[in-house]
Amino acid sequence: MSILQSFKNLVRSRSIHVAYVDVGSCNGCDIEVLACLAPRYDIEQYGIYVHNNPREADILLVIGAYTPGWEDKLQGLWEKIPDPKVAIAIGNCPISGCVFNRPHSYVNPPVSKHIPIAAQVPGCPPRPTEILQAVLSLAPEVFKDYERRKK
Amino acid sequence: MSRYLYEKDLVAMKYAILISTRHDRLVREIAGDLGISHQNLRRYMIERFDMILMENLPARYEAGKAETGNDAPLADALGRVLYTRYIPLLERERMNAILGQVREMIENGTPQEEAVSRGKRLIGEELRP
Amino acid sequence: MKKTVDVSIPIGPVHPCFKEPARVKCETRGEYVLSAECELGYMKKGIELIMRGRPWQEVMFLAERICGICSVIHNMVFIEALEKISDIPVPERGSLLRVIVNELDRMQSHILANFSYCYTIEHETLGMYLLDIRESAMDELERITGARVTCAYIVPGGVRFDLRDEDAVHLRASLEIIERDMKRYIGMFEGGPLIALRSKDVGVLTKESAKEAHAVGPTARASGMPETDMRLHHPTYQKLNFKPVFRTEGDNFARIMVRFEEILQSIDLIRRCLDMLKPGPIRGGGIPSAGETVYRGEAPRGELSYYVKTDDAGRIVDISVQTPSIMNIEACTHYMLKGVASLADVPSTFISADPCIACTER
Ligand code: SF4
Repeated sequence: MSILQSFKNLVRSRSIHVAYVDVGSCNGCDIEVLACLAPRYDIEQYGIYVHNNPREADILLVIGAYTPGWEDKLQGLWEKIPDPKVAIAIGNCPISGCVFNRPHSYVNPPVSKHIPIAAQVPGCPPRPTEILQAVLSLAPEVFKDYERRKK
Repeated sequence: MSRYLYEKDLVAMKYAILISTRHDRLVREIAGDLGISHQNLRRYMIERFDMILMENLPARYEAGKAETGNDAPLADALGRVLYTRYIPLLERERMNAILGQVREMIENGTPQEEAVSRGKRLIGEELRP
Repeated sequence: MKKTVDVSIPIGPVHPCFKEPARVKCETRGEYVLSAECELGYMKKGIELIMRGRPWQEVMFLAERICGICSVIHNMVFIEALEKISDIPVPERGSLLRVIVNELDRMQSHILANFSYCYTIEHETLGMYLLDIRESAMDELERITGARVTCAYIVPGGVRFDLRDEDAVHLRASLEIIERDMKRYIGMFEGGPLIALRSKDVGVLTKESAKEAHAVGPTARASGMPETDMRLHHPTYQKLNFKPVFRTEGDNFARIMVRFEEILQSIDLIRRCLDMLKPGPIRGGGIPSAGETVYRGEAPRGELSYYVKTDDAGRIVDISVQTPSIMNIEACTHYMLKGVASLADVPSTFISADPCIACTER
């Protein structure tokens, strides 16, 4: 492994930028993601920064059951994120539609139909620790030796 | 004329707001009051109102109904405050012009009730395409 | 809306300061905001349509998922509407426990709202302090109900679990800590000169405009309308001798301060409930029957009203929910944002009304 690659690995392991996008949730998962910021869970001690800015994000947390308003937007948002990138579905909503996936509703789950989802955290809502765990365990898988694997 | 370059067509979503129980009841009530079809009123609202105002229509209507009695009696009967401020269907000038017409009718000997109902028809005319 | 100028600045739907997607479009001259409008449609799930024709046992959980931040009050208002329709009595201990859980929920929701505001005006320190203290309230909620969010604690005729004595002791201790810290943070917020610069006289909502838009909750109470508090009409709160807090300035600062004061008030209410708790049953019986009603309750964000119509089997025939955020966001976009001096104040003013898009669109 080249020195440059190991240097990149080192840097990347401590600087993961996270953006979250809410595509039609009940807000329950939303606030659990926010609670990860709290000093109790302290997401920043692992080098994860929640900026909510897709242009500089590495990880996209997708929350919610995909409503029609996002049809042209979610794809665009996903393309704005620079490589390497990965999306995690938080909560039951993006996985199955949760309670909203019934006749007559407007939602169109699962989100994996629309953008590639790498990991799922089920729960209605999942606990902040579970969200944290998912981000932490997924990050090295994706970002370690990214350039070498790409070749 | 300003146009948004990347704005989606919002008509379907606005329509989805207007068909909930409360909104449907409200639209039918106003349409009945003004003597136009509720489809026409819906179309007019979809063209003119933004979505958050639409969501809020029932609450505003309720507040507007509670507010009657502070304006001149004739203007109140016509719903001047209700239809210009609370449910902004008309500009205030147009409303005042209609109010003037109603006054004229009453002076010419039309009974008040009939004049007011004709005034409401006139408001309805304004909203037609 | 009529266009007055050509410059229209859209903010959202994805914005670093907004927790949820909404699109605010501001017509500006220079930085001065002339008018604003808000377009939604990113969260429309059609919950009311799903609810129709389902038994209440299912609708109860759907009602909770209208809003995850204030899930307890949605649960409470829906169940109390059912109880009103079918005359189901609630034992005293049950109704006091409902108030305790509801006030805990209000505390965490207000703290979250104030955190968002502090975060938006870039006062991260205070924001993090608040988020930390919120976890204590969440812990108590979890200890009593068994879940942090969407706990489905309130059922027709009472509540699900009793409050054990050791939990009550723990609750009191936590309240002590929250009150002590909260007072310190309120002092920080009140005394901060830069916070005052960003918040005072920004986004003023006059009493007339508040009436016109039917504003509710802390937003209305910051503009001098204490009578909008629906807790004044709730029998249990009447027993507790509840008096709403209010202010008259109507700016961002007042809205945040009303929320801070309500947190202290909630602590006080919970303490009084704990004092009044006597051993007894927590859950009576009853069968939901046919009927229809409109029931109003006070959510953290303001008046929440449910129109419910049921049939003999306890199925929901027709339902319509009017959530407080609808009125508050409307008041915010059409009255507060008008005349805001700089675009930097637009997100903070928007957040100060505590918008919750999920329940606005349902
Ligand atoms: S998974 Fe549950 S808590 Fe999360 S957004 Fe969906 S309904 Fe809300």
